[in-house]
Amino acid sequence: MSVKADESAIAPPVPFEHVIFTDLDGLEGVLVDLNTKKYYQLNETASLIWRGLEKRLSVNHIASELSENYDVTMDRAVSSIRNALGDFAAHKLVTQGKP
Amino acid sequence: MSWQALVNKVSSNSHIKERELDDENSRYGPRRLTVELTNICNLRCGYCLRDEDALYHSPAQLFPAELLSRVLGGARESMQIEQVMFTGGEVTIHPGFGKIIETVAAHGLTCSFVTNGWHFERVWPTVLKHRATVSHVAFSLDGATREAHDHWRGEGSFKRVVQALSRCWANDFPFLLKVGIRRDTVQDLERIAVFAARMGAAALSFAHLMPTSNDIASALALTLEERAEAEREIALLARIFKMRIGIDVGYYNTELTSPCSALSGVSANVDYRGQLSLCCNLSGFRGGNGEDDIITDLNHEEFGAAFARLQSVAAMQGQRRIKALTDLATEGSQADLTTGSPCLFCLNTLGKTPWDSLVRITPLTSNATTQPVLS
Repeated sequence: MSVKADESAIAPPVPFEHVIFTDLDGLEGVLVDLNTKKYYQLNETASLIWRGLEKRLSVNHIASELSENYDVTMDRAVSSIRNALGDFAAHKLVTQGKP
Repeated sequence: MSWQALVNKVSSNSHIKERELDDENSRYGPRRLTVELTNICNLRCGYCLRDEDALYHSPAQLFPAELLSRVLGGARESMQIEQVMFTGGEVTIHPGFGKIIETVAAHGLTCSFVTNGWHFERVWPTVLKHRATVSHVAFSLDGATREAHDHWRGEGSFKRVVQALSRCWANDFPFLLKVGIRRDTVQDLERIAVFAARMGAAALSFAHLMPTSNDIASALALTLEERAEAEREIALLARIFKMRIGIDVGYYNTELTSPCSALSGVSANVDYRGQLSLCCNLSGFRGGNGEDDIITDLNHEEFGAAFARLQSVAAMQGQRRIKALTDLATEGSQADLTTGSPCLFCLNTLGKTPWDSLVRITPLTSNATTQPVLS
């Protein structure tokens, strides 16, 4: 099994309770971190990923959705998710979920 | 000391030049009509000033767009209103909300509305569609945290309000926050102001509790001294923050000039039944039994003639207040809370707080007087 597949099987981070997501139009969204009182505007991809995190979906599952909705390869989808998760973590919007 | 004088004093202490308020529009805001779109509400905030039976135990009454159109036409002509403010009950429950906004637009007016935010998602498409007509939205807030807010409004309420703010923020749509000053909020005024500013509120509007019973007053209302301290704090916040901060309801003001938009004839209220009355804060007051503030039923009478009588009632009430204040001044006594706060004065003298034994209620006539009775 490849390293990429292992990573995709690991449980993704979990959104903090103090971060509130608002779905704007079924596509884009906004996050509010109630601790810092900061807004974060999410594009369609980031919103889809966030919704997946809220549902506690695996990275593979979220990647499948991305791949279907935006006609991208699974590898590309996983890469996008990794980038987004990195951004979320950097802004302390998510906590590391348990595998 | 009036609210404005207090702000002036705070600004002089902090060496900030005060802006002059030199016209009616600056002092009382634009000429406006407040309309209660419905009697019902989906939340049960214990301190609410609206009658409980009307809110929860009566059939829903929904203000008809046709009546609104007629009332707005009359109010434009005789009162020169520029704005309409919608309140309730909970405004967003009205199933014809879109038609209501279209009616305002058809009269060339702008409007705003106050909401608890729970159903804001439902009306958001209408608000966006008519953003040229809807000038802003006011969200009621009971604290800067989930715990503080949901304590009064139920689990999930704070999240819904924040989501509503997020929609407004993402679309650059102006909103303001309305917060009650009570024992549970008075320690968090600055924190609430920071929250409002960070969320992007255009303004933060505080309102003193309007007590509806002895129990509510005992548990939540501030004493005269505590209110004065809160008002000083809010005045200071108003100077510090770029966002507009003020107190709309219940402030202490013993100046003899007209203390509010209602008594100045700049604003009036139409309740969910179509009755024209003096002020939205007096309308359908929980536990109240006086109706001297109600002028007529606009379902059966045109606005113009009714407005003339409204002005007469406002003038008489204003004179009543002046007499009460000058009588106390003549005695060398400081006005207590009931006399010194214009809102509490109206509540008491218009029969809205029969449980408050400090003031004997007399009918509002040209010879009406207020006789303080010590309990």
